[in-house]
Amino acid sequence: MSTELLQPDGVGKGRSDASSDTPGDNVARLVGATKTFGEGDAAVTALDDVTIGFRRREFTAVMGPSGSGKSTLMYCQSGLDRLTSGHAYVGDVDVSTLTDQELSVLRRSKLGFIFQSFHLVPALSARENITLPVDLDSGADVDEAFLTELTDVLGIANRMENRPSQLSGGQRQRVAVARAMIPRPDVIFADEPTGALDSKTSGELLAYLRKAVDDLGQTIVMVTHDAVAASHCDRVIYVQDGRLVGEALHPTVDDILDKIRELS
Amino acid sequence: MIRRTFKLAWFKRNRYSLTVIAIGLSVAFIVSTLLLTTSIADVGEPLNEAYDGVDVVVRGPEVAAGDGPVAGITAPVPPTVVDALTAEGYEAVGFTSPYAQVLDPAGNPGGQDQTSSNVAEPWLGDSALNGFEIISGTAPAGLGEVAVDASTADNAGLEVGSTLRYVTDAGLQEAELVGIATFGGADNDPYTSTLLIDAGDPVFTPTRGFDYVLVAGDGEAVGTEEAAALAPGTEVLSGPAWVADQIDLLDQFLGFFSTFLTVFAVIAVVVGMVIVTNTFTVSLAQRTEELALLRLVGTTRRQLMAQVVLEAVFLGAAGTLIGVLVGLAGVNGMGWFLDLLGLTIERSNAISSTAIIIGVIVGMGVTVVAAVWPAWKATAVAPIEALRSAELEPPSASRKRLIAAAIALAIGVGCLGYGMIQGDILFTGIGIGGAFLALYLGADTLIRLAAVAVRPLLGRAGPTGIVASRNLERNAGRTSAAASALMIGISLIAFFTLMAATIGQFVAGDSADALSADYVVQGIGNQPEPALGDETLAALAAVDRVTDVVPLYSTSVTPLGEAEIERVGPGDAALGTAITDFDALTGVYEFTVNAGSLDDVTGTAVVIDQALADSFTLAIGDPLEVNTLAGEVELAVAAIVETSLPGAPQPAVIGDLDLGDALGYSEPATAAYIAGDADEAALTAAVGLPTIDVLTLDDYVDGLSSNLDTILALVYALLAVAVIIALVGIANTVSLAISERVGEIAAIRAAGASSRQIFWSLISEFGLLALVGVVSGLVLAWVSATAFFQALSDGQITYPETDVVTGLLIVLAGFLGGAAASWFPALVAAKADILDVLRAD
Repeated sequence: MSTELLQPDGVGKGRSDASSDTPGDNVARLVGATKTFGEGDAAVTALDDVTIGFRRREFTAVMGPSGSGKSTLMYCQSGLDRLTSGHAYVGDVDVSTLTDQELSVLRRSKLGFIFQSFHLVPALSARENITLPVDLDSGADVDEAFLTELTDVLGIANRMENRPSQLSGGQRQRVAVARAMIPRPDVIFADEPTGALDSKTSGELLAYLRKAVDDLGQTIVMVTHDAVAASHCDRVIYVQDGRLVGEALHPTVDDILDKIRELS
Repeated sequence: MIRRTFKLAWFKRNRYSLTVIAIGLSVAFIVSTLLLTTSIADVGEPLNEAYDGVDVVVRGPEVAAGDGPVAGITAPVPPTVVDALTAEGYEAVGFTSPYAQVLDPAGNPGGQDQTSSNVAEPWLGDSALNGFEIISGTAPAGLGEVAVDASTADNAGLEVGSTLRYVTDAGLQEAELVGIATFGGADNDPYTSTLLIDAGDPVFTPTRGFDYVLVAGDGEAVGTEEAAALAPGTEVLSGPAWVADQIDLLDQFLGFFSTFLTVFAVIAVVVGMVIVTNTFTVSLAQRTEELALLRLVGTTRRQLMAQVVLEAVFLGAAGTLIGVLVGLAGVNGMGWFLDLLGLTIERSNAISSTAIIIGVIVGMGVTVVAAVWPAWKATAVAPIEALRSAELEPPSASRKRLIAAAIALAIGVGCLGYGMIQGDILFTGIGIGGAFLALYLGADTLIRLAAVAVRPLLGRAGPTGIVASRNLERNAGRTSAAASALMIGISLIAFFTLMAATIGQFVAGDSADALSADYVVQGIGNQPEPALGDETLAALAAVDRVTDVVPLYSTSVTPLGEAEIERVGPGDAALGTAITDFDALTGVYEFTVNAGSLDDVTGTAVVIDQALADSFTLAIGDPLEVNTLAGEVELAVAAIVETSLPGAPQPAVIGDLDLGDALGYSEPATAAYIAGDADEAALTAAVGLPTIDVLTLDDYVDGLSSNLDTILALVYALLAVAVIIALVGIANTVSLAISERVGEIAAIRAAGASSRQIFWSLISEFGLLALVGVVSGLVLAWVSATAFFQALSDGQITYPETDVVTGLLIVLAGFLGGAAASWFPALVAAKADILDVLRAD
């Protein structure tokens, strides 16, 4: 059975074309994506024939209970993990056909990542962490103006020479955000980016991500548990048992909480 | 707790596998070495059984000291002594052990090898003095029948009933091989290939009396006093005392090998210990959080210590088990390697339980001791560390360590300077030790400096290069031990290479350059025997286009007086002495005369080399009193030359042919220099004996250092083990460091680094680590060798023979070795799934 958006919920029906498996305005999309872990009786289907697209300049939240497959969806979409069957496209490129080398180049040029536990390189300064994806490309130069703009907006301009161990959690995550933004990627994948932050810090971070979408035209896909975080998004999709079970456009915190309650 | 600790250790078995291998290698090396040493030591045992019927031994007083299976030169025992003993009703047999080289069926010298003597002994039948027993065939029953020892028969492929050819001083001989004998229950007399011939054979006709006389009573044992009364002017020992003396001589010769092997075993243990310490330091540092958590929930420091030490016990046990098993197999490998080098070390087959027990104690002990200090440091962790994700170690060098390194360096340099100027070996040794300690303690600082120095270079490879250099700098405190382990191995290899190259150059260099003979004819294997008889010399002289044949007669004399001679190389108290046709010699050898005149050399007026003149402060015309086969003789210094004739050792005294008479020397020549562009094949044909080589000048000069090369090959092989253990240590450090950094590697990978970039980053980091170890090892070796020569060679050698190209090759090899050791762990890390790491959070 194909779980294609929009099906159950009806909210934002008018956008169903844009969220389909056709290239259209989508910067990333999954087509018939299935991911199974293990074999035989022990096999677990983490993604079950999912087809979905992520549109340019859209801030999407992927929500669902633990083990629903939302992280797997993100990992497969970004090429960090391989699908058992189906296709994952970034632009027109099917990431499942890429070699490790090509995937590396794809990650450094077209994708950005933000993780719950930051994953900064301890040996590098904040600045070196941020410019890492550009520096990895021997031919590329850092866009200094853009770097300054990013670090100013993120409020970390004066911490550029510090090592990660000398930064607070919020500062570390903002360095991670800047690192994800610097190559001007087609899409940023954020995996519970506010999971390790307090509510004030996470509010600031979400506000910044929102701004990145609105002002810089960034596309962001964010996996989250947090209804408040999801309420900053243009669109929320719900995943359960590896399937898409709902979608909402510009939902309020209450809408989201209601939907979660309904799912559980 | 034992079960829980075992489970924890088992859980981390991958992390500890290389440590176990390192311990295992060290233990294996110790066990092999000890087994070999003890089995070598047992080789003298058959002498006890072979000579248990000997009551008394008569021998002449010693006139020149000597090492090894070839005992020191003793004055001959006159045949009249044998007659007197026999007249008294005793059984007395005089031995001269004449040269006899058995040939194999193909006509090549067979039997044993370079290290054994090739002798003929009379077959004594049922006599109590007969140490041999026929085990196959029959005993020689008259002229034309011979037997050989079982080992010789085996090595040369000889069969009872065949015709045996052999070479004596009288030339090529032929006889029927009728029997194969054992000696005292063993296959052969230790380090001797024996041909048993009828006692009436002319080969036993004494030219100058007997080397020793074995005596047995008729039914009743002979006392030493009774025998001494019949043998005036000789030394009389009881049979057991003489056997003990012979075994002692063997031990002296083998002691060199035993010491040699033990030294390497100790090196292997030290390297192993450094690596175990390193493993525990790194792995415990990684577990700071875990240890702190255990403290947080109420574990006492003592409990933590006990847990860590118990872990070490498990590792030690696993490593030791592997080590003992490999060691038992390895002893045969070592024996095989020695055989390959032509250094056949005879050994018994007994497995010494002591060797295994020592191996077990060392393996377990070293591991536990090596774990204690890291455990003590790691368990000092404050419980609060569990709640903090602090950096594992501050990036700055430990000040205490740096100060200690500086102190060690100051002491080392001071002692080295003093030792070199004063020629004091003790201070030189302490100085080398100090320098070594300084490098060991300062290794982390050196690594940090190296990391900073190469950063611009690595930076060109992009951020992965920067990460490599920063990590090297940051983790230097923990990884330096791996570099130190490599430093130990490399410094020893380089030290021995420098020593050998320098001594080799010293031995072969100037003196060989002065030789202009076209050929050198000498016994195979660079031994004084077999000799060149007068007929052989005449045959050589008769070869077309030979213009001159200069025979060399080699003997040695012992100087009398207080001075002790110090010469580089094996010289002992005896002075190598060459007797030759001196006028002819000056035609093929150009002496650099420092004093006196070569024209004055005749009779007891001799040439001495500068080293001897310096040692004894001798000037022209001075007397040199020596003990010789003919008793005490006073030589006179006619000339002092810069360097003597080539050889190892070089003869310190050279005299004209008539010196032989004065010294009581009447053996055939041991070598001859040939002048003239004769055909090599014609010379070989003239010699007509497979036991004598005709060498071109170049081959001869190359061969001069061949003994040294053999020893060096052995040293290399043994040190290679230490280096391999050190490289296992590097691999270990790399995999531990990488397991600590999976998060970081995943982050860089997620940011778009390819696995290739990660791989090269890790390789350059750990190649650099190895490089620091190799370079410091080379520097240490060069300083040590220089200091050593300055202190010991009396200014004859100021700097070691330094070959820059070889040095650079070693540096390159060290870097590549380090890179190779980190290859696999780096490959695994670079190929690791990013997600595995991200999911682990």
